[in-house]
Amino acid sequence: MNIRAVRVEDLAGMQDCNLHNLPENYTMKYCSRLSPHFIQTAKIDRIPRPDLYHALSLAFTFAKMEEQEEPEGQPATNHVPHGHVTSISVMRSYRRLGLAKKLMLQSQEAMSSIYRAAFVSLHVRKSNRAALSLYRDTLGFTVNNIEEKYYADGEDAYAMQLTFEH
Amino acid sequence: MAPPPLAQKDKKLFADLLSQYENRQLSKGRKTADQILKKYPEHGETMCMKGLILVHLGQRDEGINLVKEGMRKDLSSHICWHVWALIQKSEHKYEDALKSYIQALKFDKDNFNILRDTAVLQTQTRQFEGLAETRHNLLRLRPFNRHHWVGLAVAYQLNGNLAEAKQILEYIEGFLRNVGSYDVEFSELLMYHVRILEDMGDFQSAVDMLESHDRAKGGSVLDRMAGTEMKVRLLAKLKESNADDEQKTAWTERADAAWRWLLSQNADGYEYYKGFLANQGIDLANVTDENREKALEMLRGYFNDQVATAPRRLALHVATGQEFKDLIKPYLTNALTKGIPSLFADLKPLYRDSLKRQIIEDTVEEFRATFATSSPPTGDSIEPTTYLWALYLLAQHHSYLGRHKQALEILDIAIAHTPTLPELYMTRARALKRAGDPHGAARAMNDARLLDGQDRFINTKTGKYLLRAGMVDEADTIFSKFTRGGTPAGVDLEEMQAMHYLVEQGDSYRRAGKLNLALKKYYVIQKVFESFREDQYEFHQYSVRKTILNVYTEMLKWEDNVRSHPGFIHAAVATVQIWVALFDDATLGPSLQPAETTASDVSSKKALNKAKKAARKGQPEADGANSKKATATQTEDRGLEPPRLKDDDPEGLKLVLAEDPLERADKYLTGLSELVPQNMDICFAIYDVAIRRKKYLQAVRMLMRAHSLDSEHPDLHLRIAHLRDTVSSLPEPIPAPVGPVLAESIASLLPEEVSLELFNSQYLQKHTSSPMAIVAHAKVAQILKAPQDEVDSILFTVLREPVQLDHEFAVLSYLKDMKSPRVEEFRIACNDRFELSTLFRSDEEIAALQKSFTESGESPDDGEPLETVV
Repeated sequence: MNIRAVRVEDLAGMQDCNLHNLPENYTMKYCSRLSPHFIQTAKIDRIPRPDLYHALSLAFTFAKMEEQEEPEGQPATNHVPHGHVTSISVMRSYRRLGLAKKLMLQSQEAMSSIYRAAFVSLHVRKSNRAALSLYRDTLGFTVNNIEEKYYADGEDAYAMQLTFEH
Repeated sequence: MAPPPLAQKDKKLFADLLSQYENRQLSKGRKTADQILKKYPEHGETMCMKGLILVHLGQRDEGINLVKEGMRKDLSSHICWHVWALIQKSEHKYEDALKSYIQALKFDKDNFNILRDTAVLQTQTRQFEGLAETRHNLLRLRPFNRHHWVGLAVAYQLNGNLAEAKQILEYIEGFLRNVGSYDVEFSELLMYHVRILEDMGDFQSAVDMLESHDRAKGGSVLDRMAGTEMKVRLLAKLKESNADDEQKTAWTERADAAWRWLLSQNADGYEYYKGFLANQGIDLANVTDENREKALEMLRGYFNDQVATAPRRLALHVATGQEFKDLIKPYLTNALTKGIPSLFADLKPLYRDSLKRQIIEDTVEEFRATFATSSPPTGDSIEPTTYLWALYLLAQHHSYLGRHKQALEILDIAIAHTPTLPELYMTRARALKRAGDPHGAARAMNDARLLDGQDRFINTKTGKYLLRAGMVDEADTIFSKFTRGGTPAGVDLEEMQAMHYLVEQGDSYRRAGKLNLALKKYYVIQKVFESFREDQYEFHQYSVRKTILNVYTEMLKWEDNVRSHPGFIHAAVATVQIWVALFDDATLGPSLQPAETTASDVSSKKALNKAKKAARKGQPEADGANSKKATATQTEDRGLEPPRLKDDDPEGLKLVLAEDPLERADKYLTGLSELVPQNMDICFAIYDVAIRRKKYLQAVRMLMRAHSLDSEHPDLHLRIAHLRDTVSSLPEPIPAPVGPVLAESIASLLPEEVSLELFNSQYLQKHTSSPMAIVAHAKVAQILKAPQDEVDSILFTVLREPVQLDHEFAVLSYLKDMKSPRVEEFRIACNDRFELSTLFRSDEEIAALQKSFTESGESPDDGEPLETVV
């Protein structure tokens, strides 16, 4: 599978990938709002065939740098730059390839080296053991706390974090 | 018209009104406005401001009327024009709003806010020349804010004035030199500058600039990967545009180092390998016997990377013969042992080489034989799962190659071996679908879903398969398991712009003949793309302020082309075909209306009710704003956006009775001729509308374009005959200048001396074994008024040779359309021929199949999740 940086024209395929895989939905507007921030994050695809309706996005991460509230023209104060992984999605038929890990590593590298992020955070469903194991055991995240009823369906989330060393 | 002057203290009052509006103190503002109007009932600006406030308060119609009245009183006020522009903008009438802003500027040319909004609208409507001027004015007013410099540079670039853009960027970089070496925005600005140099064709300066800002040497370009990707691209362009051998060698070396660095960062990037090889003169898509060994050697250099799969996979593409055999075996062993479900999709592109295909089949069969004959698996053996994945791969392989029976037999063995793996049922579904059994396919997919109810992917697939089998209601039930609670699936998926759903649902309705409901879905797709256009609005200001320039300018280009999305094209073509059918047969629209007295078709009635319900739920605020006028507290800010109108035609019943079907069809096609000039379906769609609107030149142009793309296309053959026939049977010849040009153009497609009969029989002779060509021939014969039995027997010749199932299905549909007496005969012949297929069953049998799905215990209880993977 091909791993590369996200491009603008991937938006439609990524939205489609998301709708296929995740219980959470994102509209195109939401996707494009994130776009300035995911320049550096990675995406996986297969060379699409022209007769398919949707470009094939097999997996992607939505990761962004958390923005500071900053009135126009004024410098920000006390903002620690850090990243947040909004969403990571792998098409069911493309699992067991270690794609999630590869994508996370690419995205962490970009956050740390380009933006000098101090840390990256994410939320994961309490029931999602496989994901928890990826973040904790493979990538080295730690659980910060539990956010009750974080998801729309009432499930709790682990708030996790990984500190970068500079 | 002179506005009534306000006395000094009333001027103060008016200033209060403005600031109250700014701070959204709406009730207060309205009172202030009333106070002024009491004294100056003709004061246009106050009327406009009050109107604006009323719109915010939910009294839209009243407010807009007041604004219009106010404008009439004072056409030379920038405030009046500004208010009007705001209202137009809220209705997404960007072109109109821009005109009003330009008017406003006539009376207050240095108004910063108006200039800023004007710039945004000029970008939204792509009026870049005006944009450069507006940005220039903004900069003149606020020269010390760097964003206005950036904004001007972007405006110049968009307008094609690259040299000016470059100059501005150099200037900004000059005064930003002291920001320090670590600034993300500065880094982005530099990258943008490099891109402009590239667009100017000055590759050398672009490379120099990148190198002088190289982060590895303490420079300010922070994204090393993006910077290096740009550098290799530039070096390749330099090599291409320059003949000096010595320099070429130097560039090749530099590029080689850069590619190696990129691969060290991401050894899974196909594009990196492609460039890495291209730099050495090897075209990865066309490796020759001369450079094959070298290509393999370069790829092998990355085999020791434990994680990356790309080099090994690409080597399979490059290698041939024994080398391929040596590489494929460990590749397969590894993937089958790990149980990688995507293995077949990964290998499929190799099948273009039939030798490789055979080697893969033989190798996997070998595995299977080994595992199948080995002693019964012991507890800790990994072989059983490897055996299972080998069966899984073989089933996909045979199904893909059209060996449906073989595929299904292997799946039976696999399922008997491990009855709990959803992938096996999903593959069975696909195999059945390919064999022409959409009903069995839907059932198999549902079996997979019941094994892992928590997985949205299988859920979506099940819904899709149900739609393909014509079971719209059942599909909705399945989809709704993952859509927002309480809302019907359709409403939620529409809001989520789920293209896969909208297209499938529209098609499903269309196949069932419910053209009204199909049209509704296709129009939702149009709306979705319209909203993409609106979505970009907020970026014009934001991106400039945040210096996000490269992605932003790419996004503008993407927005301009977004309607070339295959989903949109598909919907456009389908919509046009429906409108044309409605135009050609005036009884069709009325026939779609529900028969009040004989409500025999229960299922369609059900669908209609569902649509009604969906429409109701989708518009919670339907007819809200206006009817609440009297009761609302009238202090709440409802914003400027118009409330969503209640859809008074949720089933599309009025829509299909529209009196201007061709104009509506034409509207859906707007711009597509330029956007996707290579698309034959669009050529035909435009032709079909144009010829009926008597726009003959446009019609013939489309056929000439299609002719240059594929002169033998069956749909083209039919239309050339149709055009000649239509034009020659006109009661009066078309006068010059159109007439002679048209005649000449038609003659270029079909020489005048060739009769239609001859044209048609020659076409058949050339394509006797192509079913779609035979259908085209039959349709032309029909135009030529051939008797029904003759047309029928032409179509029956399709049965002489083995052909694809969907082609036979197309013939059957056409026979049905013509109401041929031999429909049943043809259907039964096909049904016998495709034993696995249910497509050729009788209507009663198909209804029974659908019913049996519903009754087979499609239970809402979902299975336990087997395994939740990330």
